Amino acid sequence: MTDFKEATFMYVIGLVVAVVVLAQAVFFLVKAWRRGKELGISVQDMKNTVVSIVMFSVTPALSIVATVVALAGALGLVLPWVRTLIIGNISFETAAASSAMSSYGLGSLSSEVTDPEIFSAIAWVMTLGSMLPLILIPIFLKTIQKKMGKTLAKDTKWADVIASAAFVGLISAFVGRAILGQGNIKTSPDVLTDGAGVLSVTALISSVVFMLILQKIADKRQIKWLDAFAMPISMFAGMGMVILAAQILPPEIAFFEWRG
Amino acid sequence: MKKVRDYNDSVHFYGRLSMVFILIVFIGVPLSMCIFYNAWPKPSAVIKGLIPIAMLYYPTAVVEVLTYAPLLGTGGMYISFITGDISNLKLPCAIAAMNAAKVKPSSEEGEIISTISIAASSIATIVIVAICVFFLRPIIPIITDETSVFAPAFAHVLPALFGAIGAAYLLKYPKTVIAPLAVILLILAFSGQMQVGLLIPIGVIVAVVAAHFMYKAKLIK
Repeated sequence: MTDFKEATFMYVIGLVVAVVVLAQAVFFLVKAWRRGKELGISVQDMKNTVVSIVMFSVTPALSIVATVVALAGALGLVLPWVRTLIIGNISFETAAASSAMSSYGLGSLSSEVTDPEIFSAIAWVMTLGSMLPLILIPIFLKTIQKKMGKTLAKDTKWADVIASAAFVGLISAFVGRAILGQGNIKTSPDVLTDGAGVLSVTALISSVVFMLILQKIADKRQIKWLDAFAMPISMFAGMGMVILAAQILPPEIAFFEWRG
Repeated sequence: MKKVRDYNDSVHFYGRLSMVFILIVFIGVPLSMCIFYNAWPKPSAVIKGLIPIAMLYYPTAVVEVLTYAPLLGTGGMYISFITGDISNLKLPCAIAAMNAAKVKPSSEEGEIISTISIAASSIATIVIVAICVFFLRPIIPIITDETSVFAPAFAHVLPALFGAIGAAYLLKYPKTVIAPLAVILLILAFSGQMQVGLLIPIGVIVAVVAAHFMYKAKLIK
Protein backbone atom coordinates (compact mmCIF):
# COMPACT_ATOMS: atom_id res chain seq x y z
CA MET A 1 0.00 0.00 0.00
CA THR A 2 1.29 3.43 -0.84
CA ASP A 3 1.80 5.91 1.95
CA PHE A 4 -1.57 7.49 2.79
CA LYS A 5 0.10 10.86 3.28
CA GLU A 6 1.03 10.97 -0.39
CA ALA A 7 -1.93 9.13 -1.87
CA THR A 8 -3.58 10.35 -5.08
CA PHE A 9 -6.42 11.65 -2.94
CA MET A 10 -4.06 14.05 -1.14
CA TYR A 11 -2.73 15.32 -4.46
CA VAL A 12 -6.28 15.98 -5.63
CA ILE A 13 -6.93 18.05 -2.51
CA GLY A 14 -3.71 19.96 -3.09
CA LEU A 15 -4.57 20.62 -6.71
CA VAL A 16 -8.03 21.94 -5.84
CA VAL A 17 -6.61 24.33 -3.25
CA ALA A 18 -3.84 25.48 -5.62
CA VAL A 19 -6.31 26.20 -8.43
CA VAL A 20 -8.69 28.14 -6.17
CA VAL A 21 -5.91 30.27 -4.67
CA LEU A 22 -4.31 30.91 -8.09
CA ALA A 23 -7.67 31.87 -9.56
CA GLN A 24 -8.19 34.55 -6.92
CA ALA A 25 -4.76 36.08 -7.51
CA VAL A 26 -5.21 36.03 -11.30
CA PHE A 27 -8.66 37.59 -10.98
CA PHE A 28 -7.36 40.53 -8.95
CA LEU A 29 -4.30 40.90 -11.17
CA VAL A 30 -6.50 41.29 -14.26
CA LYS A 31 -8.89 43.61 -12.44
CA ALA A 32 -6.11 45.88 -11.20
CA TRP A 33 -4.40 45.81 -14.60
CA ARG A 34 -7.59 47.04 -16.33
CA ARG A 35 -8.15 49.73 -13.74
CA GLY A 36 -4.49 50.75 -14.06
CA LYS A 37 -4.97 51.26 -17.81
CA GLU A 38 -8.04 53.39 -17.14
CA LEU A 39 -6.05 55.49 -14.71
CA GLY A 40 -3.35 56.00 -17.33
CA ILE A 41 -0.58 53.97 -15.72
CA SER A 42 1.72 52.92 -18.56
CA VAL A 43 1.55 49.27 -19.56
CA GLN A 44 5.36 49.22 -19.56
CA ASP A 45 5.39 50.26 -15.90
CA MET A 46 2.95 47.48 -15.01
CA LYS A 47 4.94 44.94 -17.01
CA ASN A 48 8.14 46.00 -15.30
CA THR A 49 6.39 45.65 -11.96
CA VAL A 50 5.36 42.07 -12.72
CA VAL A 51 8.77 40.97 -14.03
CA SER A 52 10.70 42.56 -11.19
CA ILE A 53 8.32 41.11 -8.59
CA VAL A 54 8.69 37.63 -10.07
CA MET A 55 12.47 37.98 -9.71
CA PHE A 56 12.01 39.31 -6.22
CA SER A 57 9.91 36.30 -5.22
CA VAL A 58 12.31 33.58 -6.36
CA THR A 59 14.51 33.31 -3.27
CA PRO A 60 11.74 33.68 -0.68
CA ALA A 61 9.86 31.01 -2.67
CA LEU A 62 12.87 28.71 -2.38
CA SER A 63 12.84 29.28 1.38
CA ILE A 64 9.21 28.16 1.36
CA VAL A 65 10.24 25.06 -0.57
CA ALA A 66 12.84 24.41 2.11
CA THR A 67 10.13 24.48 4.79
CA VAL A 68 8.01 22.03 2.81
CA VAL A 69 10.98 19.71 2.53
CA ALA A 70 11.72 20.12 6.24
CA LEU A 71 8.20 19.08 7.23
CA ALA A 72 7.91 16.38 4.57
CA GLY A 73 9.83 13.87 6.66
CA ALA A 74 7.10 13.73 9.28
CA LEU A 75 4.01 14.73 7.29
CA GLY A 76 4.68 13.68 3.72
CA LEU A 77 4.98 16.13 0.88
CA VAL A 78 1.39 17.10 0.20
CA LEU A 79 0.04 18.47 3.49
CA PRO A 80 2.97 20.88 4.07
CA TRP A 81 2.62 21.99 0.44
CA VAL A 82 -1.11 22.64 0.79
CA ARG A 83 -0.41 24.56 3.96
CA THR A 84 2.08 26.87 2.25
CA LEU A 85 -0.62 27.69 -0.32
CA ILE A 86 -2.88 29.22 2.33
CA ILE A 87 -1.37 31.46 5.03
CA GLY A 88 1.39 28.98 5.71
CA ASN A 89 4.68 29.82 7.32
CA ILE A 90 7.33 27.65 8.87
CA SER A 91 7.18 28.80 12.47
CA PHE A 92 3.41 28.44 12.57
CA GLU A 93 3.27 25.04 10.86
CA THR A 94 6.01 23.62 13.05
CA ALA A 95 4.37 24.95 16.21
CA ALA A 96 0.91 23.74 15.17
CA ALA A 97 2.09 20.28 14.20
CA SER A 98 4.16 19.86 17.36
CA SER A 99 1.27 21.03 19.52
CA ALA A 100 -1.17 18.61 17.86
CA MET A 101 1.30 15.74 18.22
CA SER A 102 1.98 16.50 21.85
CA SER A 103 -1.75 16.27 22.60
CA TYR A 104 -1.39 12.65 21.44
CA GLY A 105 1.60 12.23 23.73
CA LEU A 106 4.01 12.19 20.82
CA GLY A 107 7.35 13.91 20.91
CA SER A 108 8.41 15.96 17.93
CA LEU A 109 8.38 16.29 14.20
CA SER A 110 11.51 14.23 13.79
CA SER A 111 9.55 10.98 13.49
CA GLU A 112 7.17 10.08 10.70
CA VAL A 113 3.43 10.25 11.40
CA THR A 114 1.91 6.87 10.56
CA ASP A 115 -1.58 7.13 12.07
CA PRO A 116 -4.23 8.78 9.83
CA GLU A 117 -6.09 9.97 12.93
CA ILE A 118 -3.08 11.91 14.24
CA PHE A 119 -2.40 13.13 10.72
CA SER A 120 -5.87 14.62 10.41
CA ALA A 121 -5.66 16.03 13.94
CA ILE A 122 -2.53 17.89 12.84
CA ALA A 123 -4.35 19.17 9.75
CA TRP A 124 -7.23 20.40 11.93
CA VAL A 125 -4.97 22.26 14.36
CA MET A 126 -3.09 23.87 11.47
CA THR A 127 -6.35 24.92 9.81
CA LEU A 128 -8.22 26.16 12.89
CA GLY A 129 -5.11 27.88 14.20
CA SER A 130 -4.57 30.00 11.11
CA MET A 131 -8.02 30.75 9.71
CA LEU A 132 -8.92 33.75 11.88
CA PRO A 133 -7.87 36.43 9.34
CA LEU A 134 -10.16 34.81 6.75
CA ILE A 135 -13.07 35.54 9.10
CA LEU A 136 -11.92 38.97 10.33
CA ILE A 137 -11.13 40.50 6.95
CA PRO A 138 -14.45 39.87 5.16
CA ILE A 139 -16.29 41.26 8.19
CA PHE A 140 -14.15 44.23 9.25
CA LEU A 141 -11.81 45.34 6.46
CA LYS A 142 -14.26 47.61 4.66
CA THR A 143 -15.15 49.42 7.90
CA ILE A 144 -11.49 49.75 8.93
CA GLN A 145 -10.51 51.17 5.56
CA LYS A 146 -13.46 53.56 5.43
CA LYS A 147 -12.50 55.00 8.80
CA MET A 148 -8.86 55.26 7.74
CA GLY A 149 -9.78 56.71 4.36
CA LYS A 150 -11.76 59.52 6.01
CA THR A 151 -8.88 60.44 8.31
CA LEU A 152 -6.34 60.29 5.51
CA ALA A 153 -8.43 62.27 3.02
CA LYS A 154 -8.37 65.36 5.27
CA ASP A 155 -4.71 66.09 4.50
CA THR A 156 -3.18 64.11 1.67
CA LYS A 157 0.33 65.35 2.37
CA TRP A 158 0.05 64.17 5.94
CA ALA A 159 -1.36 60.87 4.65
CA ASP A 160 1.73 60.33 2.50
CA VAL A 161 4.01 61.05 5.44
CA ILE A 162 2.12 58.61 7.67
CA ALA A 163 1.96 55.84 5.03
CA SER A 164 5.69 56.07 4.32
CA ALA A 165 6.43 56.15 8.05
CA ALA A 166 4.49 52.91 8.51
CA PHE A 167 6.69 51.25 5.86
CA VAL A 168 9.78 52.61 7.54
CA GLY A 169 8.57 51.12 10.86
CA LEU A 170 8.24 47.69 9.29
CA ILE A 171 11.63 47.92 7.61
CA SER A 172 13.20 48.98 10.94
CA ALA A 173 11.97 45.79 12.60
CA PHE A 174 13.83 43.62 10.09
CA VAL A 175 16.92 45.81 9.90
CA GLY A 176 17.05 45.89 13.70
CA ARG A 177 16.94 42.11 13.89
CA ALA A 178 19.78 41.83 11.38
CA ILE A 179 21.90 44.09 13.60
CA LEU A 180 21.01 42.93 17.12
CA GLY A 181 18.58 40.01 16.96
CA GLN A 182 19.26 36.67 18.57
CA GLY A 183 19.17 33.68 16.23
CA ASN A 184 16.06 31.58 16.33
CA ILE A 185 16.89 27.96 15.74
CA LYS A 186 13.41 26.77 16.58
CA THR A 187 11.71 28.49 13.67
CA SER A 188 14.15 27.25 11.09
CA PRO A 189 15.19 23.74 12.01
CA ASP A 190 16.63 23.02 8.60
CA VAL A 191 18.88 26.00 8.10
CA LEU A 192 21.76 27.62 9.89
CA THR A 193 20.93 30.07 12.62
CA ASP A 194 19.76 33.42 11.42
CA GLY A 195 20.96 35.58 14.30
CA ALA A 196 22.68 38.92 14.00
CA GLY A 197 26.33 38.44 13.19
CA VAL A 198 28.98 38.84 10.55
CA LEU A 199 26.84 37.23 7.85
CA SER A 200 23.61 39.10 8.56
CA VAL A 201 25.42 42.43 8.59
CA THR A 202 27.28 41.47 5.40
CA ALA A 203 23.92 40.81 3.74
CA LEU A 204 22.45 44.04 5.06
CA ILE A 205 25.33 46.37 4.25
CA SER A 206 26.14 44.95 0.83
CA SER A 207 22.54 45.09 -0.36
CA VAL A 208 22.28 48.68 0.94
CA VAL A 209 25.46 49.64 -0.92
CA PHE A 210 24.39 47.92 -4.16
CA MET A 211 20.99 49.60 -3.95
CA LEU A 212 22.48 53.06 -3.44
CA ILE A 213 24.85 52.59 -6.38
CA LEU A 214 22.22 51.17 -8.73
CA GLN A 215 19.69 53.85 -7.80
CA LYS A 216 22.30 56.53 -8.46
CA ILE A 217 23.12 55.05 -11.89
CA ALA A 218 19.44 54.73 -12.76
CA ASP A 219 18.75 58.35 -11.80
CA LYS A 220 21.83 59.81 -13.49
CA ARG A 221 21.52 57.92 -16.74
CA GLN A 222 17.71 57.87 -16.70
CA ILE A 223 17.59 54.09 -17.11
CA LYS A 224 13.97 53.22 -16.49
CA TRP A 225 14.28 49.43 -16.35
CA LEU A 226 17.04 49.70 -13.77
CA ASP A 227 14.61 51.57 -11.52
CA ALA A 228 12.38 48.51 -11.54
CA PHE A 229 15.13 45.95 -11.09
CA ALA A 230 17.51 47.69 -8.70
CA MET A 231 15.90 46.05 -5.66
CA PRO A 232 15.89 42.40 -6.73
CA ILE A 233 19.41 42.78 -8.15
CA SER A 234 20.64 44.29 -4.85
CA MET A 235 19.01 41.49 -2.90
CA PHE A 236 20.76 38.83 -4.98
CA ALA A 237 24.01 40.75 -4.68
CA GLY A 238 23.64 40.83 -0.90
CA MET A 239 23.06 37.08 -0.81
CA GLY A 240 26.01 36.56 -3.14
CA MET A 241 28.24 38.48 -0.74
CA VAL A 242 27.06 36.24 2.10
CA ILE A 243 28.06 33.14 0.15
CA LEU A 244 31.38 34.75 -0.65
CA ALA A 245 32.01 35.75 2.97
CA ALA A 246 31.12 32.27 4.22
CA GLN A 247 33.57 30.77 1.74
CA ILE A 248 36.48 33.18 2.14
CA LEU A 249 36.49 34.18 5.81
CA PRO A 250 37.64 31.70 8.46
CA PRO A 251 34.52 29.97 9.86
CA GLU A 252 34.98 31.34 13.38
CA ILE A 253 34.74 34.86 11.97
CA ALA A 254 32.17 34.31 9.22
CA PHE A 255 29.68 32.44 11.42
CA PHE A 256 30.23 34.62 14.48
CA GLU A 257 26.95 35.89 15.97
CA TRP A 258 27.28 38.47 18.73
CA ARG A 259 24.04 37.58 20.46
CA GLY A 260 24.87 33.90 20.69
CA MET B 1 -14.94 60.38 -8.66
CA LYS B 2 -17.75 57.85 -8.96
CA LYS B 3 -15.47 55.45 -10.80
CA VAL B 4 -13.00 55.38 -7.90
CA ARG B 5 -15.67 54.28 -5.47
CA ASP B 6 -16.90 51.70 -7.93
CA TYR B 7 -13.53 50.03 -8.25
CA ASN B 8 -12.92 49.96 -4.51
CA ASP B 9 -16.42 48.67 -3.75
CA SER B 10 -16.12 45.94 -6.33
CA VAL B 11 -12.74 44.88 -4.92
CA HIS B 12 -14.39 44.57 -1.51
CA PHE B 13 -17.28 42.61 -2.99
CA TYR B 14 -15.14 40.08 -4.86
CA GLY B 15 -12.58 40.05 -2.08
CA ARG B 16 -15.18 39.05 0.48
CA LEU B 17 -16.77 36.52 -1.84
CA SER B 18 -13.46 34.87 -2.70
CA MET B 19 -12.23 34.89 0.89
CA VAL B 20 -15.36 33.19 2.24
CA PHE B 21 -15.20 30.64 -0.59
CA ILE B 22 -11.53 29.91 0.09
CA LEU B 23 -12.29 29.63 3.82
CA ILE B 24 -14.79 26.87 2.99
CA VAL B 25 -12.25 25.09 0.78
CA PHE B 26 -9.67 25.54 3.54
CA ILE B 27 -11.85 23.86 6.15
CA GLY B 28 -12.70 21.24 3.55
CA VAL B 29 -9.08 20.04 3.54
CA PRO B 30 -8.97 18.41 7.01
CA LEU B 31 -12.67 17.52 6.75
CA SER B 32 -12.24 15.58 3.52
CA MET B 33 -9.18 13.85 4.97
CA CYS B 34 -11.27 12.65 7.90
CA ILE B 35 -14.02 11.42 5.60
CA PHE B 36 -11.71 9.76 3.09
CA TYR B 37 -9.52 7.97 5.61
CA ASN B 38 -12.41 7.49 8.01
CA ALA B 39 -10.09 8.80 10.69
CA TRP B 40 -11.84 11.13 13.09
CA PRO B 41 -9.55 12.59 15.73
CA LYS B 42 -11.05 13.12 19.17
CA PRO B 43 -12.30 16.72 19.41
CA SER B 44 -10.67 16.94 22.83
CA ALA B 45 -7.27 16.12 21.30
CA VAL B 46 -7.71 18.74 18.59
CA ILE B 47 -8.78 21.35 21.11
CA LYS B 48 -5.91 20.48 23.41
CA GLY B 49 -3.51 20.92 20.48
CA LEU B 50 -5.24 24.10 19.35
CA ILE B 51 -5.31 26.03 22.63
CA PRO B 52 -1.58 26.92 22.89
CA ILE B 53 -1.56 27.77 19.17
CA ALA B 54 -4.69 29.92 19.40
CA MET B 55 -3.40 31.76 22.46
CA LEU B 56 -0.33 32.81 20.51
CA TYR B 57 -1.65 33.25 16.99
CA TYR B 58 -5.21 34.63 17.40
CA PRO B 59 -4.04 37.89 19.01
CA THR B 60 -1.26 38.02 16.38
CA ALA B 61 -3.89 37.69 13.65
CA VAL B 62 -5.87 40.63 15.02
CA VAL B 63 -2.75 42.80 15.26
CA GLU B 64 -1.68 41.76 11.76
CA VAL B 65 -5.01 42.64 10.18
CA LEU B 66 -4.92 46.09 11.81
CA THR B 67 -1.23 46.73 11.05
CA TYR B 68 -1.34 45.63 7.43
CA ALA B 69 -4.69 47.19 6.47
CA PRO B 70 -3.17 50.62 5.76
CA LEU B 71 -0.05 49.18 4.15
CA LEU B 72 -1.29 46.56 1.71
CA GLY B 73 -4.25 48.36 0.18
CA THR B 74 -7.63 46.79 -0.43
CA GLY B 75 -6.85 44.27 -3.18
CA GLY B 76 -3.54 43.43 -1.54
CA MET B 77 -5.23 42.58 1.76
CA TYR B 78 -7.62 40.08 0.18
CA ILE B 79 -4.86 38.33 -1.74
CA SER B 80 -2.03 38.37 0.78
CA PHE B 81 -4.01 37.12 3.75
CA ILE B 82 -4.87 34.08 1.65
CA THR B 83 -1.38 33.25 0.48
CA GLY B 84 0.48 34.43 3.60
CA ASP B 85 4.18 35.31 3.90
CA ILE B 86 3.10 38.92 4.23
CA SER B 87 5.90 40.61 6.15
CA ASN B 88 8.69 38.66 4.49
CA LEU B 89 7.44 38.68 0.90
CA LYS B 90 4.15 40.35 -0.07
CA LEU B 91 4.65 43.64 1.72
CA PRO B 92 8.29 44.07 0.61
CA CYS B 93 7.08 43.37 -2.95
CA ALA B 94 4.40 46.05 -2.68
CA ILE B 95 6.85 48.56 -1.20
CA ALA B 96 9.49 47.81 -3.84
CA ALA B 97 7.00 48.04 -6.70
CA MET B 98 5.48 51.33 -5.55
CA ASN B 99 8.95 52.76 -5.06
CA ALA B 100 10.11 51.66 -8.53
CA ALA B 101 6.93 52.87 -10.25
CA LYS B 102 7.23 56.14 -8.29
CA VAL B 103 3.62 56.11 -7.08
CA LYS B 104 2.42 57.14 -3.62
CA PRO B 105 1.03 54.46 -1.35
CA SER B 106 -2.04 56.48 -0.41
CA SER B 107 -3.03 57.19 -4.03
CA GLU B 108 -5.18 55.02 -6.27
CA GLU B 109 -2.18 54.40 -8.53
CA GLY B 110 -0.44 53.06 -5.42
CA GLU B 111 -3.37 50.75 -4.76
CA ILE B 112 -3.18 49.40 -8.34
CA ILE B 113 0.59 48.86 -8.36
CA SER B 114 0.44 47.28 -4.91
CA THR B 115 -2.35 44.90 -5.98
CA ILE B 116 -0.51 43.95 -9.18
CA SER B 117 2.73 43.29 -7.31
CA ILE B 118 1.10 41.20 -4.57
CA ALA B 119 -0.92 39.18 -7.08
CA ALA B 120 2.17 38.63 -9.25
CA SER B 121 4.19 37.57 -6.23
CA SER B 122 1.48 35.13 -5.12
CA ILE B 123 1.23 33.56 -8.56
CA ALA B 124 5.02 33.36 -8.94
CA THR B 125 5.42 31.80 -5.50
CA ILE B 126 2.73 29.18 -6.07
CA VAL B 127 4.20 28.19 -9.43
CA ILE B 128 7.82 28.15 -8.21
CA VAL B 129 6.97 26.14 -5.09
CA ALA B 130 4.90 23.64 -7.08
CA ILE B 131 7.65 23.13 -9.66
CA CYS B 132 10.33 22.72 -7.00
CA VAL B 133 8.32 20.45 -4.73
CA PHE B 134 7.14 18.11 -7.45
CA PHE B 135 9.79 18.17 -10.15
CA LEU B 136 12.99 19.23 -8.48
CA ARG B 137 12.54 17.33 -5.26
CA PRO B 138 15.89 15.49 -5.45
CA ILE B 139 17.79 18.74 -6.02
CA ILE B 140 16.17 20.86 -3.29
CA PRO B 141 17.92 19.27 -0.30
CA ILE B 142 21.28 19.83 -2.03
CA ILE B 143 20.57 23.56 -2.31
CA THR B 144 18.96 24.06 1.08
CA ASP B 145 21.04 21.57 3.05
CA GLU B 146 22.94 23.04 5.97
CA THR B 147 26.27 22.10 4.41
CA SER B 148 25.59 23.53 0.96
CA VAL B 149 27.37 26.71 -0.14
CA PHE B 150 23.98 28.41 -0.54
CA ALA B 151 22.80 27.68 2.99
CA PRO B 152 24.25 30.83 4.63
CA ALA B 153 22.59 32.96 1.94
CA PHE B 154 19.21 31.35 2.63
CA ALA B 155 19.58 31.97 6.35
CA HIS B 156 20.04 35.67 5.59
CA VAL B 157 17.50 36.32 2.83
CA LEU B 158 15.66 38.85 4.98
CA PRO B 159 18.61 41.16 5.80
CA ALA B 160 19.48 41.20 2.07
CA LEU B 161 15.88 41.90 1.09
CA PHE B 162 15.27 44.62 3.66
CA GLY B 163 18.71 46.11 3.07
CA ALA B 164 17.73 46.82 -0.54
CA ILE B 165 14.33 48.21 0.41
CA GLY B 166 15.69 50.06 3.43
CA ALA B 167 18.30 51.83 1.33
CA ALA B 168 15.63 53.31 -0.93
CA TYR B 169 13.65 54.54 2.07
CA LEU B 170 16.70 55.78 3.93
CA LEU B 171 17.45 58.05 0.97
CA LYS B 172 13.91 59.36 0.79
CA TYR B 173 13.04 59.65 4.48
CA PRO B 174 16.29 59.88 6.46
CA LYS B 175 14.64 61.60 9.44
CA THR B 176 11.73 59.18 9.69
CA VAL B 177 14.09 56.21 10.08
CA ILE B 178 15.77 57.43 13.28
CA ALA B 179 13.03 56.94 15.89
CA PRO B 180 11.73 53.46 14.97
CA LEU B 181 15.20 52.01 14.36
CA ALA B 182 16.49 53.42 17.66
CA VAL B 183 13.54 51.99 19.61
CA ILE B 184 13.83 48.58 17.91
CA LEU B 185 17.57 48.39 18.60
CA LEU B 186 17.01 49.40 22.22
CA ILE B 187 14.39 46.67 22.67
CA LEU B 188 16.63 44.08 21.02
CA ALA B 189 19.59 45.10 23.17
CA PHE B 190 17.62 43.97 26.21
CA SER B 191 15.55 41.21 24.68
CA GLY B 192 17.34 39.81 21.64
CA GLN B 193 14.85 36.98 21.27
CA MET B 194 11.90 39.23 20.44
CA GLN B 195 10.39 38.13 17.13
CA VAL B 196 9.54 40.31 14.13
CA GLY B 197 5.84 39.54 14.68
CA LEU B 198 5.99 41.73 17.77
CA LEU B 199 8.67 44.13 16.52
CA ILE B 200 6.68 45.11 13.42
CA PRO B 201 3.67 46.66 15.20
CA ILE B 202 6.04 48.40 17.63
CA GLY B 203 8.15 49.79 14.78
CA VAL B 204 5.08 50.89 12.82
CA ILE B 205 3.49 52.68 15.80
CA VAL B 206 6.73 54.43 16.81
CA ALA B 207 7.43 55.50 13.21
CA VAL B 208 3.91 56.81 12.65
CA VAL B 209 3.75 58.73 15.93
CA ALA B 210 7.24 60.21 15.43
CA ALA B 211 6.47 61.15 11.82
CA HIS B 212 3.21 62.78 12.88
CA PHE B 213 4.96 65.05 15.40
CA MET B 214 7.82 65.85 13.03
CA TYR B 215 5.28 66.77 10.35
CA LYS B 216 3.37 69.00 12.77
CA ALA B 217 6.66 70.59 13.86
CA LYS B 218 7.49 71.05 10.15
CA LEU B 219 10.69 69.00 10.48
CA ILE B 220 9.61 66.81 7.58
CA LYS B 221 7.26 67.45 4.70
